[in-house]
Amino acid sequence: MAEVSAQRQHAFRVLMRRHMPRALRVAERIVRDPAEADDIGQEAFMRVWTHAASFDPEVGKFTTWLYRIVLNLTFDRTRRRTFQALEEAGDVPDTGPHAVERLIADEELRLLNRAMAGLSDRQRGAIALFHMEGLSGEEAANAMNLSAKAFESLLGRARSALKANVQKIQQTGSHV
Amino acid sequence: MTPEQFRQLAETWGGDIERWPAPTREAARRIAATAEGAAVLDQQSRFDRLLAIAPEIETARADRSSFLVLQRLAAIPQQHRLAWHQRLLRWPALVPAASLACSVMVGVWLAGALPYAHAPSDPLSVMSGVFDIYAIGYGSVQ
Repeated sequence: MAEVSAQRQHAFRVLMRRHMPRALRVAERIVRDPAEADDIGQEAFMRVWTHAASFDPEVGKFTTWLYRIVLNLTFDRTRRRTFQALEEAGDVPDTGPHAVERLIADEELRLLNRAMAGLSDRQRGAIALFHMEGLSGEEAANAMNLSAKAFESLLGRARSALKANVQKIQQTGSHV
Repeated sequence: MTPEQFRQLAETWGGDIERWPAPTREAARRIAATAEGAAVLDQQSRFDRLLAIAPEIETARADRSSFLVLQRLAAIPQQHRLAWHQRLLRWPALVPAASLACSVMVGVWLAGALPYAHAPSDPLSVMSGVFDIYAIGYGSVQ
């Protein structure tokens, strides 16, 4: 990061190669649109480049800082966006070999996407950071700019709502 | 920790006690050793596995995004030019200013350190001084 702060593009390319998938993954989990997630990932790294000097490694890890940038961009966009019907959410493109494992995985992903569509952006962010990215509660709270207690409450509500959505989908076979 | 508190923590943090808040782990491990506790954790762990499923990001897609970022950066070099007052504060611009300041300081120090001598005003001394100046002027390497 010191080299990125010194505006060295080679170091920045290495940084993007390592962390761009992470940014895209979290953005896509929250906005549920790959094209919009790509825009957010690109904008996030533009901010990393222009604000690199403000990053202090003694305050926190780079990944936590990146997650915070991605989440802020994502929440800003979804706040402006009009409501998107749940029916549009989360159909997984049918790609790759049609192995049984793949079908099961696709089915689970489809179920998860549909259930996630019923959550708020912040709830989806909490699930993405803690469960998908494997951050600790403290790290995730830091990335979301929340206190540990507030994050615990958010995560608890997110899991509870998600579980209810999954059960509804499984029982009715329809949308939440 | 009561079994109800254990269940609530499991519903919030999932089935892996090691990811729960540190102060709760010790007591939670004791309850997890019971059949009921293990069942609660097992149920939450299955849910955790579903939540951990991540969208697949292909390398080509990430590379394309990185490339577009570099393109955007290349398109805005002029926006990063520093303003004149910022350029003045960068160290290459400070070298002449520092040299001048050092010269002034040495001059002031010499003026204070050397004894002040009144120039003699009698005609003989003045003439002698004039000849000395000429002698220096002609005899010097200049």
